[in-house]
Amino acid sequence: MDQIDHLTAPGSTGEEKPAAPRITVRDATRSFVTAGRSAVHAMGPMDLTIGDDEFLCVVGPSGCGKSTLLKIIAGLLAPSSGEVAINVSGEHRIPIAMVFQDYGIYPWKTVRANVDLGLRLTGRPSAERREIVDDWLARLGLTEFADAYPGALSGGMRQRVSVARALAIDPEVLLMDEPFAALDAQLREVLQEELLAIWQARRRTVVFVTHSLEEALLLGDRVVVMSARPGRVIADINVPFERPRTGAVRTDALFAKLRGELRTSLQPQVTAQFDAGKDKR
Amino acid sequence: MSSVLTRRPGAAELHPVRTRRRWTVTKVTLGIAVPVLFVAVWQLIAVLEWVDPFLYPPPSRLGPGLAALWEDGRLVDATVTSVRRVILGYLLGAVAGVVIGFLMGMSRVLRAALEPFSWAWYTVPKLALLPIFLTIFGFGDTSVVVLIAVTVYFFVWISVMSAVMAVPTGYREAALMLRVNRWEMFRHVLLPAALPEIFVGLRIAAGVSVLMLVGIEFVISDQGLGFLIEQGRTLLLLEQSYVAIVLVALIGYLFALLVKLIGRLFVRWRDEDNAIIPS
Ligand SMILES: Nc1ncnc2c1ncn2[C@@H]1O[C@H](COP(=O)(O)OP(=O)(O)OP(=O)(O)O)[C@@H](O)[C@H]1O
Ligand SMILES: [Mg+2]
Repeated sequence: MDQIDHLTAPGSTGEEKPAAPRITVRDATRSFVTAGRSAVHAMGPMDLTIGDDEFLCVVGPSGCGKSTLLKIIAGLLAPSSGEVAINVSGEHRIPIAMVFQDYGIYPWKTVRANVDLGLRLTGRPSAERREIVDDWLARLGLTEFADAYPGALSGGMRQRVSVARALAIDPEVLLMDEPFAALDAQLREVLQEELLAIWQARRRTVVFVTHSLEEALLLGDRVVVMSARPGRVIADINVPFERPRTGAVRTDALFAKLRGELRTSLQPQVTAQFDAGKDKR
Repeated sequence: MSSVLTRRPGAAELHPVRTRRRWTVTKVTLGIAVPVLFVAVWQLIAVLEWVDPFLYPPPSRLGPGLAALWEDGRLVDATVTSVRRVILGYLLGAVAGVVIGFLMGMSRVLRAALEPFSWAWYTVPKLALLPIFLTIFGFGDTSVVVLIAVTVYFFVWISVMSAVMAVPTGYREAALMLRVNRWEMFRHVLLPAALPEIFVGLRIAAGVSVLMLVGIEFVISDQGLGFLIEQGRTLLLLEQSYVAIVLVALIGYLFALLVKLIGRLFVRWRDEDNAIIPS
């Protein structure tokens, strides 16, 4: 877990946005060796640069290594080869926050205590924390359940708790692994709008993994498509819609065109990944 | 043949308070009825003289036996001694087991170093070590307490260590993202996550500590309820043995219940009884 600690110092000191990217993935691969099986080459080699305050969306077939990429950036996994560098200011005790695909919230803490945990660990005064936590609970529609334990929540609500906990930290880099996957379509749109508004009001670097191309196009400055396992970058498109955006861009003609392009590049990969899974048996 | 599956509110939905109260009553009644039934059958067997009532005294003869033991104060003395020994030994062993269990659960190096050695010790019947302890600590309380502590320690150690190791990676990773140190990982993740399983271990160990207590007192035969049982046997005062056995059972039950209740104070995020099985 030490990778986080030898991050390079920020390149420039002035107020000017540094030209250097926030995250650089250089030739990174990852394999998993599990007992009794040959090594699984899960990801890479992968090259990717993510600019400061950029909102990057990652799409790719299931099992192609998207979560693996996020965990490497997070410092939870080391790359098997290559290197990932993240610039952080050094001012935050928790510079990188992550929303896990399987929530990662604690059943023994109430909703409020879960959201509060990151703030508590940074040692902020409790009155201040309370205000921040209440604000995030309200934004994610969780106020009513603030004192419930996660065991009494639906899957979608748990995922919102997980999102609230990451956002409450106000990190420099936010990693989100399919944060809205368990939500119904309507609530998903509400929270997409909410996230858009939050991000546009206070920009930071986001790497957002999703299976929804619409979601990627709505939220992202850039969308990266990953190949079937081992995942590599096979398409990298800029999303040209003006900021601040709203859900209205969904009806834009260009939106449909971009979605079509993404689908075209993604489809063969999904099929390939699926067939590879079948051949193994 | 087609049929209609209907789903309607059941008793629990229509009358939640009454259903819950009724279940509580049922639970307590069943809990009491089974031992009462047991005593009744035992009495019946003696009355019908299916067994020799001298060798197997019926429950009705335990009353006089109890009175005799009570009057000369031996019962109180023995109970106080036994309870003191078992509580002291249990606390010592449980604290050591929890501490070492967590340390080993959290450190791969410690596990590699101590696990094989500890497992080897675990399998040694602790009663076999009694002579050594008697030599070291002398004949009496200290030896008994230490031997109970050692026994309890191993049970608690294993349950704590395996509970800590079973904490899902996802919980640990979420904490690592919050850049916790070891203490915070323990305090916010490992301890609460492992707690339900730890309390199962503590309850088992509570029963084991009473088993051990009686075994030791039986062997060294100095004081306590185990001694009363043994003395009753050798002097053919079987009522005395039986009274002491019943008392031991009661103490063991109350002890495990106490541990369970304490556990419930700490593990409040879980439903107590949520096992669903097809009926
Ligand atoms: N801890 C692990 N041990 C062994 N193999 C792993 C491990 N984690 C991931 N893998 C393998 O690496 C590959 C990529 O997994 P990953 O979780 O990154 O996929 P993903 O793109 O996030 O998929 P999904 O969209 O379904 O979440 C898979 O084949 C998986 O089996
Ligand atoms: Mg994933």
